[in-house]
Amino acid sequence: MCLKASLTVAQRTNGTAIVGILEGGLARIRPVTFARTISLALLLTAALSAAEVKIVYVGPPLRDNSSGKGALLGLEEAQLQGAFLGLAYSLAAAELTDLAALHGADAILVAGTPGRVLAVAEAVSEQGVPVFNIAATQDGLRTSCAPNLLHTIPSDAMLATAVAQWKQNSDAGSVVAQAWHEDFVKFAARDLNKRFQESRGTDMDDQSWAAWAAVRIVADAAANLPVGTTAERLAYIRFEMEFDGQKGGYMTFRDTGQLRQPLLVVVDGKLAGEAPVRGVAASDDLDSLDPLVCAAR
Amino acid sequence: MQSVSRILILLLAGIAALMARDPTGRLFVTNEGDDTVSVIDAKTGDLVRAIDVGGRPRGIGFSPDRTRVYVALGDENAIAVIDTATLAILEKVPAGSDPEAFAVHPNGHIYLSNEDEGEASVLNPENGEILAQIKVGIEPEGVAIGPDGTRVYVTSESTSMVHVISVPEHEVVANILVGARPREIAFSEDGKYGYVTCEVGGEVVKWDLATNKIVQRKKLRREIRLVKPKGIRRGPDGKSFFIATGRGDVVAVLDAETLDLQATIPVGRRVWGMAFSRDGKTLYVTNGLDNNMSVIDVDARKETNKIAVGDMPWGVIFDD
Repeated sequence: MCLKASLTVAQRTNGTAIVGILEGGLARIRPVTFARTISLALLLTAALSAAEVKIVYVGPPLRDNSSGKGALLGLEEAQLQGAFLGLAYSLAAAELTDLAALHGADAILVAGTPGRVLAVAEAVSEQGVPVFNIAATQDGLRTSCAPNLLHTIPSDAMLATAVAQWKQNSDAGSVVAQAWHEDFVKFAARDLNKRFQESRGTDMDDQSWAAWAAVRIVADAAANLPVGTTAERLAYIRFEMEFDGQKGGYMTFRDTGQLRQPLLVVVDGKLAGEAPVRGVAASDDLDSLDPLVCAAR
Repeated sequence: MQSVSRILILLLAGIAALMARDPTGRLFVTNEGDDTVSVIDAKTGDLVRAIDVGGRPRGIGFSPDRTRVYVALGDENAIAVIDTATLAILEKVPAGSDPEAFAVHPNGHIYLSNEDEGEASVLNPENGEILAQIKVGIEPEGVAIGPDGTRVYVTSESTSMVHVISVPEHEVVANILVGARPREIAFSEDGKYGYVTCEVGGEVVKWDLATNKIVQRKKLRREIRLVKPKGIRRGPDGKSFFIATGRGDVVAVLDAETLDLQATIPVGRRVWGMAFSRDGKTLYVTNGLDNNMSVIDVDARKETNKIAVGDMPWGVIFDD
């Protein structure tokens, strides 16, 4: 009973408290269960030593731009989940030129030029630290296929394909494709838009969605692999994860590191529908939006 | 010992409820799109009345004695209380921000999820008192009263968890990380296992109620295209579970023990809410995009009829 009670509390409190409570509880535990409790305590302690997930954000000031605001909402939501699991998250901002600040990061978000994104990815590729491109849409970043580089923002090719799909079905005027839209309410988009608007005082856009998604993906991996290494978590993200980006279905990563995702079609400034466009491609055929493949090396 | 006496109390309460009145034989369906509750005569399939219940009705359930129908009104931050027999709206009880789904404890209290607030609330509908507000994850959704009434289980969709809440302390005592977007919960007949549908994960996850550890998961995507598991009910034989698969447009039948897929029953588009008849022979499911409800012959595992309801039907309960 005592063991159970200790664990119960452990799941609800932060790292330091867990160990304290377990130790406090030991005196009252019968000898037979003592050994088991000790090993459990050690196990928990071991898990806790890796319990802070350090995310570094490289980009323009966190609080003043779309990417940073999205990352901050993602962080708050990751922390909320982490509190139930004994996991903590931190988000540190680094200058675009300060590669030394990347040391010790469990994951990195970059809102910058393709050159900067690649430089960051390369700087931490040996450790297998996942680097998320959250703002650059250039196709070349995808076809380069750096093993630790992931893109939550859609590519130019994806956006153009979504527009082309839409135009196959209608003679619409000014058609634009986006990753996100503030008027999107289907599925749980309404909830995410509301949370962003209420907490940040502005509408969620493509950059904020991509940054939010990156942090939530990091949290998904950490929650499912609480004692995993950085490389194990990267592998989980690339090959196993089914991410709920609040756009309907589940999302996975392509070989290029691009996040498969539905896109939103805006016609004459108004949200008009989703891509894959019905009648042109199946709604679950997300690959129909992305023609990019890895360049031969 | 405590749980044994609890079960006895629950049993007695149940028996008292059964003896209290004759069932109306009516189905009650919440229609999210037109703010009504469709009341249907189950025998004829005819609409008895469309009750203008109020803003965004979704969750629906009976009071323990079945004399009241409760409806969660997300846009009115309230639970509407309807007289099961007269169909009059008796009152709207404030229920915190954006109530979506709920479950009624045999003790009469309503456990509900407040989607916007990341909270579960406990409401006494008799006097409108909010007995507790419990912090859970983001976008709390499904609520289920555990088999012996000492635990309530709440899913949080955007945190991918089942939160275990103790009754009457109303504390979160455990959290189970499950699949993406967990929606609804059912329990095995012996009260040992919980089953949760995960909409975006496309799976059903089974866990041990004693240890709160996952024992099995069943991905349904390979067998059912576009599957988004939402509603779940234990089959009348106790050996199977019936799953409303959303845009999978079928009801899936899973083996309770192995989670193997036993059958798929084609129904309408975006199948969502579910209710069994008391004899277990008929299952009613709402088809959210077709504005109707499928009637399923449970033994034959076949749809036998469709009944028109309101716009975007969500939940259904049966007073039989």
